[in-house]
Amino acid sequence: MTERRPNRTLGPDHDTFWAYCNQGEFRLQQCNTCSKIQWPPTPMCNECLSDEFTWTPMSGRATINTYCTFERPYYKECPPPWEAILVELEEGPLFMSNPKGFSVEGKERGTPVKVTFLDCEDDAGPFKLPVFELAD
Amino acid sequence: MGYDLSRLRQVSDQVAVVGVGDTDYAKDYEAARVARQEGREEIGALDSYGLAALAFRRALADSGLKKEDIDGIAVGGPVVHQRVCEILGINPVWGIEGHQSDILLPLAVQAIASGACTTVALIYGNAQRSMGTRYGGGGIGSDQPTSYYYYHPWGWSSQGAHYAMMFKAHQLMYGSTEEQLGTVSRTIRKHAMLNDNAVMKTPISEDEYNNARYIARPLKIYDYCLVNDGGVAIILTTKERAKDLPKTPVLVSGFGRATAEIGATQLRDRMFDLYHEVLKQSGDQAFAMSQMTTKDVGHFQTYDAFSVHLPINLEGFGFCKPGEGLEYIQDGRIEIGGELPCNTSGGMLSESYMQSWNHQVEAVRQLRHEAGRRQVEDVQTSMFCHHGSGGAFSIMYRRGN
Repeated sequence: MTERRPNRTLGPDHDTFWAYCNQGEFRLQQCNTCSKIQWPPTPMCNECLSDEFTWTPMSGRATINTYCTFERPYYKECPPPWEAILVELEEGPLFMSNPKGFSVEGKERGTPVKVTFLDCEDDAGPFKLPVFELAD
Repeated sequence: MGYDLSRLRQVSDQVAVVGVGDTDYAKDYEAARVARQEGREEIGALDSYGLAALAFRRALADSGLKKEDIDGIAVGGPVVHQRVCEILGINPVWGIEGHQSDILLPLAVQAIASGACTTVALIYGNAQRSMGTRYGGGGIGSDQPTSYYYYHPWGWSSQGAHYAMMFKAHQLMYGSTEEQLGTVSRTIRKHAMLNDNAVMKTPISEDEYNNARYIARPLKIYDYCLVNDGGVAIILTTKERAKDLPKTPVLVSGFGRATAEIGATQLRDRMFDLYHEVLKQSGDQAFAMSQMTTKDVGHFQTYDAFSVHLPINLEGFGFCKPGEGLEYIQDGRIEIGGELPCNTSGGMLSESYMQSWNHQVEAVRQLRHEAGRRQVEDVQTSMFCHHGSGGAFSIMYRRGN
């Protein structure tokens, strides 16, 4: 089933991120010069100012950093209670997302999770949204 | 690279606040409440410019200066510099717009100390309730931080959610509780009850706090600031000119600014470190410039868009250790008469959401010893601080002669 979601930020580099997601691949920009991984997409490496990147596959493994639950409606597509998690990817970056198949309530910092994709749709059309489920 | 302490020290205590003015927060809020009850639109009598102009006229009267003495104008809130100058009939030789008081006030001090001008009016007007302003949203190229809008597809938005996640991180790291956090809002409300111009003046009991509805869990309605209309003006001039003016001058002894722009969208400094490192850097600068330490601070004014600001700032500036901010504030320590009175006019949680501007006014009134029922006895110094998207900002004030 496809979920309606608020609109993504699209444009150069952002489109590439979502294009990989739509293939079920979780890739982020990695600097060809200094190897730093960037999120969100950027036109220039904020470590060495290079503009040469490779879209590198992430392992999808992450841990929970923190979370919150919206108890009143902020978006019509996201009825309360609506849970959001901030996870730390194995490769370093922090990534805002949603839990899938579990509730954040009572979860500890460091709880292992892994990426999965939800079939979604916004004004720009269908897309796959990276979310996180508990790792085994 | 960074600031030059020897040159900063030359600026310390050279510029004074000589006038403050604010608008009728409580009366205007009540009028809006009555309008809502009667099914009318909640539109105040004054727009942002009207509020700014009224605050300026009051600050000017408070200072004893004439309009012609003002040669610098800095404006904040949703008002533009040119129109404010036109309304007030002033052609300044120095000016700037579009920032918070904690950024503008140090810039004005630097302008006066360098000789670019002699007397600056800092002016803020914001009819945010009447305009139905919402804080969040935006997009690339807007003045909103990326973290306010980039996560829309995950249903994540709002400044409150940033602080909800910060408090959850504090809980996960240090075991702090919602009951402990309640002390912030309940104490600040107690202070507001001593301020006739505060918007919210009914006490919050422990039960009321604990049973209040959540907005972004774990934060409750009482952890969120108000949204109300208002204006503030602050007049600064040289220490020498201040001597000829009627009110006790309040000297700007120091300021600090440290930024955390790298990783701002990922929220790294916020969530991993609760901004402790940037707060420490900002505090180190302000303490060194003013030649004060935490022990010299007699009054503490913290930005309080959310209750969470207070414990995190106390930790970051070194009033207590990381993780101990919520233990520190218990047992009356931050009340008037306590060891470190905080947000004595009711802050943004209970007095008025003037986005840090009302905090400067209260610091000045306390140091002039004109705060009436809420006066901190014989207070000589005050510290203001703020952390938010982008970093940490602090200002040190000292009562002049």
